[in-house]
Amino acid sequence: MANEATAPTLYTVAAPPHWHCGRTVTGVMQQYILALLPAAVMAFIYYGFPALRVIGLSCATAVAVEALCCKAMDRPSSVDDFHAVLTGLFLAFLLPAMAPWWLVVVGAAVSIVVGKMLFGGLGGNPLCAPLVGWAILSLSWKTQMDPGAMVLATNLVDPLTQLKYLGVAAANKLSLGDLFIGKQLGALGATQVLALLVGAGYLVSRGLLKLYIPLSFLAGVFLAGLVYYLMDGSVYPSPVFHLLTGSVVLGACFLATDPNSSPVNKAAMVGFGLTAGVMTVIIRVYGMYPDGVPFAILFANLFTPMFDLIRPKPFGAR
Amino acid sequence: MSIVKEFTKGLWKEIPPFRLVLGLCPTLAVTKTASDGMGMGAAVIFVLVLSNVIISLVRKIIPKKVRIACFIVIAASLVVSVELLMQAYAYPLYQSLGIFVPLIVVNCIILGRAEAFAAKNPVLMSAADGLGMGIGFTLSLTFLGALREIFGYGKLFGSAVFGPAFKPFTFMVEAPGAFVCLGLILAAMNYLAIWQSKRAGLPEPAIAASCGGCRACAIGESKQIVEG
Repeated sequence: MANEATAPTLYTVAAPPHWHCGRTVTGVMQQYILALLPAAVMAFIYYGFPALRVIGLSCATAVAVEALCCKAMDRPSSVDDFHAVLTGLFLAFLLPAMAPWWLVVVGAAVSIVVGKMLFGGLGGNPLCAPLVGWAILSLSWKTQMDPGAMVLATNLVDPLTQLKYLGVAAANKLSLGDLFIGKQLGALGATQVLALLVGAGYLVSRGLLKLYIPLSFLAGVFLAGLVYYLMDGSVYPSPVFHLLTGSVVLGACFLATDPNSSPVNKAAMVGFGLTAGVMTVIIRVYGMYPDGVPFAILFANLFTPMFDLIRPKPFGAR
Repeated sequence: MSIVKEFTKGLWKEIPPFRLVLGLCPTLAVTKTASDGMGMGAAVIFVLVLSNVIISLVRKIIPKKVRIACFIVIAASLVVSVELLMQAYAYPLYQSLGIFVPLIVVNCIILGRAEAFAAKNPVLMSAADGLGMGIGFTLSLTFLGALREIFGYGKLFGSAVFGPAFKPFTFMVEAPGAFVCLGLILAAMNYLAIWQSKRAGLPEPAIAASCGGCRACAIGESKQIVEG
């Protein structure tokens, strides 16, 4: 800085690369938000204005808190890259539609502060930011985070609670087609399976989403579910049931693929996805929480530095 | 070094566990409430002062090669006595602290002060050092316990702080809450030290890239430059 002030500037050249592909952080984030819109619309159809209220409040809080953090850290504001909006949107998708306002506000604030800004902002977070907020909320306020307890005026049923408390017979009564189009009670956006798959397909077609992590995540869930199903089909549900319930699709396509907290190489990405997928089913079977996806992804995130040690061989190395 | 200085360094300059990051097991485990933290701190004061005094008394007759074993034996006898005293006079506290009372034996602060201070210094100095460190540890644990109790249960020393509409932030009294709280306090301590050295006109402590950007060591170095 001091040199720039004293030395006369002759000619300024921007840092390489000079040929830019046109992809920016802001652009990618906007595409992601666009890809999540179908699920938001489906959430509005199923839950009405309360769902919109949660989404709006969560995004607004995330943006405001990030702006405040940037101010406190004496940095140029980073809210215009839309990552805060995306974080708020993901968090809203993991909350029940009737969540009280303070739950949404605390969750969004914690996601941004503890999940992202304490580690230096976008690119520094070791864990997927919205999941940090979700984990702290669900450890603290179990009742308010439980869709079955919060969303009362509905005919939908929560397939995972049915499985947990009423056994596999109750779970098998639910039609898989209904689950696929999102006719299940749960977090407001995470259960819109079809809409999320449409969004993920859009991102894949734009080249913004690589399929290694989503496919290996789903394969991990399917294989682990299959192992339990083959062990005893009268106790454990079919693997397809696992794939279509809870936040498996949201986790596989959007949360596990968070660029900062997932590994970068192909083999590592496959291992990462399989770890998270298998952990999901293990937590569902043995854990005290009905859905294990967020914890499974956080668990896999912790192993990302290990997975990143799997590197391709440099050219010419033995 | 005067005796006052030895006493006061444990209260702020080297306060465990926020500056001297030792004894983390009880810090994380028994600070669910302020009174638990205070009870734990009281037990540590008792053991720390007496172990420092005894070790300082016998420091010249302990053979160098077996000194750690001797320190542990001395600390263990004191811990057993504090455990029995607690069972006799403070049974509810003993029950809520549980296994962490016997675990004071392996508390790093006890062994650390014995090795680093009491084994090299006369009795009165060692007693002052132990008392200062013990009181600092108690203050830290009470502070952390109060913080976690206020948000986690909505209470302070067992009496309600917020109105009935308050929904307890249970995360704070779970195990991860202890880690997050301690981390935030350590960050605040480092921030404060950097701010102080800036105000005193010292060079800003450098970031140690190998330690994840922590500046704690550099803070100590820049202070030594001034003192030396």
